[in-house]
Amino acid sequence: MIEFRDVNKTYPGSQRPVVQDLSFEVLDGEICVLVGPSGCGKTTSMRMINRLIEPSSGDILIDGEPNTAMSQTKLRRRIGYAIQQIGLFPHRTIADNIATVPRLLDWQKDRTRQRVDELLDLVGLEPAQYRSRYPAELSGGQQQRVGVARALAADPPIMLMDEPFGAVDPITRTRLQDEFIRIQGEIKKTIVFVTHDIDEAIKMGDKIAILKEGGILAQYDTPENILTNPASDFVSSFVGADRVLKRLSLLLVRDMELEPLNGTAVDGLPLIDARLTVRDALSELIGARTTRGVVEDENGDGRRLLTLDAIEALSGGASATGSARG
Amino acid sequence: MRPLRVARVDSSPGLALVLQDFYVEKERPLIDWVWISENFSDDILPALLGHMYLSFVSVAIALVISLPAGVFVSRYRKAYAPVTFVTGILYSIPSLAAFAILVTVPGIGIGPRPVIIALVAYSLLVLIRNVVAGLDAVPAETIDAARGMGLTARQILFGVELPLALPVIVAGVRIATVTIIGIATIGFFVAGGGLGQVIFSGISRDFPTMILTGALLTTALAVVTDFLLLRLESFLRPSARTKRA
Repeated sequence: MIEFRDVNKTYPGSQRPVVQDLSFEVLDGEICVLVGPSGCGKTTSMRMINRLIEPSSGDILIDGEPNTAMSQTKLRRRIGYAIQQIGLFPHRTIADNIATVPRLLDWQKDRTRQRVDELLDLVGLEPAQYRSRYPAELSGGQQQRVGVARALAADPPIMLMDEPFGAVDPITRTRLQDEFIRIQGEIKKTIVFVTHDIDEAIKMGDKIAILKEGGILAQYDTPENILTNPASDFVSSFVGADRVLKRLSLLLVRDMELEPLNGTAVDGLPLIDARLTVRDALSELIGARTTRGVVEDENGDGRRLLTLDAIEALSGGASATGSARG
Repeated sequence: MRPLRVARVDSSPGLALVLQDFYVEKERPLIDWVWISENFSDDILPALLGHMYLSFVSVAIALVISLPAGVFVSRYRKAYAPVTFVTGILYSIPSLAAFAILVTVPGIGIGPRPVIIALVAYSLLVLIRNVVAGLDAVPAETIDAARGMGLTARQILFGVELPLALPVIVAGVRIATVTIIGIATIGFFVAGGGLGQVIFSGISRDFPTMILTGALLTTALAVVTDFLLLRLESFLRPSARTKRA
């Protein structure tokens, strides 16, 4: 568990704090996304965890211990670190790059070699093909994967990731995000993830900390709750006018409780894949100019009816901020 | 023969070649192969080795000074201007003047010593500047990633920064060495040894074979050194790092 306790940071020679009275907890095995506009102190907050930046006041506790209890280098070797610009060592092979922290920790050569191959497999790079290559030979997306593998190398319980998928094209980014969600399902790390992109935050986060300028925590909650009950105008404008749709994009059709067909005529109704998000299903309905669709279960037994009313019921409470007056 | 007096203070092979015409009139062969073979092991080879010794020892000493100085200056930026200023002055002293001044310093005298000291002084500007430029060119994110993973400052310097700065540092070594191979010929005037000896003796003896031997060997030494260091430089560039099959 990572715990921020009244953390403040003001850079020397500056009047304005970049982080103010920041207090929150990141539970074990959760991804906590720090998100906010530029200048909101999200990267500074993350870098204070592994003491690349020291707070002006306040404490950061890791499993109950202040992170100042051990030397900076010892602390950092126990926390995975992946950044947008990746920062691979261009003069070292992919295997050597990934092996950086295991070598600092004096792992046995065999163990390190095994771990490197295991990680290359995990991030979807064929070990035999990639381990002895140099970073310059890899595409941007492949380098990002190596960056993540390198951060995971010594199996640290905590990972810090600063826009780790920021430097690639949108299609590759989506794929890397999906892959990372899958990987996290296996490794269950405690992750602090920085991004400026609210959609990425909603997609990746178990919890989201929305920061506003000056490093003030505007809201800290699950993506669902932030979308349903934004705590302030700042939060609702930051998450965007489409927050109802964003919330629907967190839900899958197959998880909805839907009525069986009960003899309803299905002629002409669109067939909706149960694996779609509710947002995509809504888009299908609108595209088909109907208010109802037929959901085919994955295993093929039972068909159910998806209605616009059911979708509206889901988004209830997340309606637009004000209502029109006559 | 007036022109020869002019030639005495100039070591450039170009002028020596111009002077060929005079020698041809005197019906001597341009290249006396018999003289070369008779004097090769006693005079020519020792002069070449002496020249290499002067040049490489000077650059080596200069590098030992410049590496820590460059690292220091790249960390404490305020020191960069004064260091460049001082080494710039050293660099601008005419070489013959530098040798002459050093000879008068007690404990130095004539011989290779003043030559090496002056050559070291000449190399400092280029070398320190390239060490700093090389360190500056290391990507900030690479250093940030190294820090974030828990490398110590020393591990970052020796494991990341210097290896990545190496191509630029070697480029500086190349420029310094080639420059110094040329300047070292003038060391003859303070009995420094080297190929300058062969060139200037040839001129004073009015003996083209000797002049050309010295001049061409100096040129060859400079060209070959340049080529080899250039190869090393491009070999070290990370962008050239691909799987070497």
